[in-house]
Amino acid sequence: MAGSRSQRRLLTLVLIVAALVWLLPIVWMVSLALQPNDLLARTTSNVAWGLIPWPFTLDNLTYVLSQGMTPRWFLNSAIVAVSMTLLVLALSSMAGYAFARIPFPGRRLLYPLVLAGLVIPEQAVFIPLYTMFADWGWHNGYAALVAPRLAVPIGVFLMTQFFRGIPDYIEEAATLDGAGRWTVFTRIMLPLSVPAMVTLAILTFLYAWNDYLWPLVSASRPEMFTITLGLASLQSNFADSEGLGRVMASGVLASLPVVLLFLLFQRQVVRGIAMGSGK
Amino acid sequence: MAIPARPAPDPAVGAIGTSRTGARRRLGQRGWRDAVAGWLFVTPFLAAYLLFLVTPFLRGIWISLHDWNLLAVAINPDAARFVGARNYTRMLWGDGIVWTLDHQWGMRLAGLVAIALIAWWWHRGVIGRGTALAAIGAGLLLFGLLLGLNPADDGRWGDRRFWPIVGNTLTFVALTVPSVTLLGLALALGLNRDDRTSAVLRTAFFLSQVLSVTVVTLIWQLTFSPRQGMLGHAARSLGLDPIQWITNVELAMPAIVIATVWWSLGFAMILFLAGLQEIPAERYEAARLDGAGLWSIIRFITLPALSRTTTLVIVLQIILHFQVFGQSHLITRGGPNDATQVLVRYIYQTGFRNSELGYASALAVVLFLFMLVFAMLQLRVSRGDD
Repeated sequence: MAGSRSQRRLLTLVLIVAALVWLLPIVWMVSLALQPNDLLARTTSNVAWGLIPWPFTLDNLTYVLSQGMTPRWFLNSAIVAVSMTLLVLALSSMAGYAFARIPFPGRRLLYPLVLAGLVIPEQAVFIPLYTMFADWGWHNGYAALVAPRLAVPIGVFLMTQFFRGIPDYIEEAATLDGAGRWTVFTRIMLPLSVPAMVTLAILTFLYAWNDYLWPLVSASRPEMFTITLGLASLQSNFADSEGLGRVMASGVLASLPVVLLFLLFQRQVVRGIAMGSGK
Repeated sequence: MAIPARPAPDPAVGAIGTSRTGARRRLGQRGWRDAVAGWLFVTPFLAAYLLFLVTPFLRGIWISLHDWNLLAVAINPDAARFVGARNYTRMLWGDGIVWTLDHQWGMRLAGLVAIALIAWWWHRGVIGRGTALAAIGAGLLLFGLLLGLNPADDGRWGDRRFWPIVGNTLTFVALTVPSVTLLGLALALGLNRDDRTSAVLRTAFFLSQVLSVTVVTLIWQLTFSPRQGMLGHAARSLGLDPIQWITNVELAMPAIVIATVWWSLGFAMILFLAGLQEIPAERYEAARLDGAGLWSIIRFITLPALSRTTTLVIVLQIILHFQVFGQSHLITRGGPNDATQVLVRYIYQTGFRNSELGYASALAVVLFLFMLVFAMLQLRVSRGDD
């Protein structure tokens, strides 16, 4: 954009300073996680308001990686997030393919009905879902944590949009060779849709890892907490917790997968957010 | 040779005719196969959709018509008692409710000013007719009619906490959405460049967005702590008394707004950046040739081109932040004195602390209706009707 060179330099400088300030809270969490617990019990501002981890220790991280509930919660989150992602991909790509490419009777009526589900927020169904899963004895199990998200039609919407954009001749060539729908879907359409599936996978994984309200309602036994929920239980009583450094170390651990995912797949995360919001 | 008035039937037509019936039969066969394949492909999703979204949604409405105690019904399924719309009247109405001209007059006057502003925008062509009429209608209903309702001296609301909690939720939205929108727009304008520095800075500003709400509350709960928090340390090093953010009735809401702005700024920035990418470079070139300065380019080219994106960002954020839960639940616990109690947390507590699932479901239905309005608006905007 316009503006003289010195103006632009000044703007860049301002933005760099703003970005550093913006990152301070994260730096602080990491720094506290790297300081000894007994020091933090006395002061959280040892060097530079606690932003520099001195004296430095890895004890908190090794503790939360090996003891307490954090490893279990981390594992639960991984199981829930991975299985939710895989199932959402499977259900959404199949339904999306059918809505976009198979002229089956009823689809013109069915597709808008499915999309209508987009206006129902999690907050409007969590109470009845709680009673249903309680009747079935599902609570404190992985299925209860995964299932509600499978019904959210955003993935179907994204995949349908994607499959509609694939030119007809690709599929026609395969059909003339006598391939059935399932073969065309698995051999041709799925490989073509990898970019869309990566985007949807990242969106779903982030959602699964970070969801708080539904695990709070469904999982009451600490062994079934996700890391996001476990972290909430740690901070609701700082006083009787295992120490500030360890709580912060759990926070760092809880953030690590999503931050890494974001740094590795920035383009897809950004595109997914834009697409998921109707841009 | 005479030309027949009516050409004899071409034998080929008959041939085509027969082959067409053959094709129809084949098409029929194919259509039948498509029907089976199509329904088989959508069945897994459809099953989940019906079971985990449609059914609970309808069941929620059903529960909201009952006096439904969580514990009592868990022991004895017949303990739910049908009460019709009583949960709704308890929530929305009360005894001796009257309409007075001067109730909440300050806020209502502000609302009427806002309506006048919208009418003026409509007049100037900034916004379309549909949007303007919808906003004016909703505004008149809210500020002209609804906010004038209040219990008379001997009357009282059926649920004294409901309307203040709706007010808190709207306050949270009203503070968060403009802050995030303006900051996100400013950042997008500053960072819409191709160089490496801008790319790194975009990543830095977006990073907090991928953290979970419980990490965000962990960080900010401690940051706001007068004794242990960074803000307290900063205040002390400047020789000031640390601010009691979370325990102060006035400051608790700003505190969770600050944490939320920090958390969700990246989202607005990304959408604005996407919007900026769609503006053709020629428009800037033309303006520059005309000798337009930076500010007039932003004012007359960039901002008008971003109007649809801006509306989308605002509507999406209203939907998102109206559902606020974690920040209130974990940083301030709804307090002090209900100052940061918000709708979703009220639903959660009514259902799972007080075991009143019927009333909690009615609250959830009302939440859904409110969000439906904005979801419809989002659909309109993202289709580009307006």
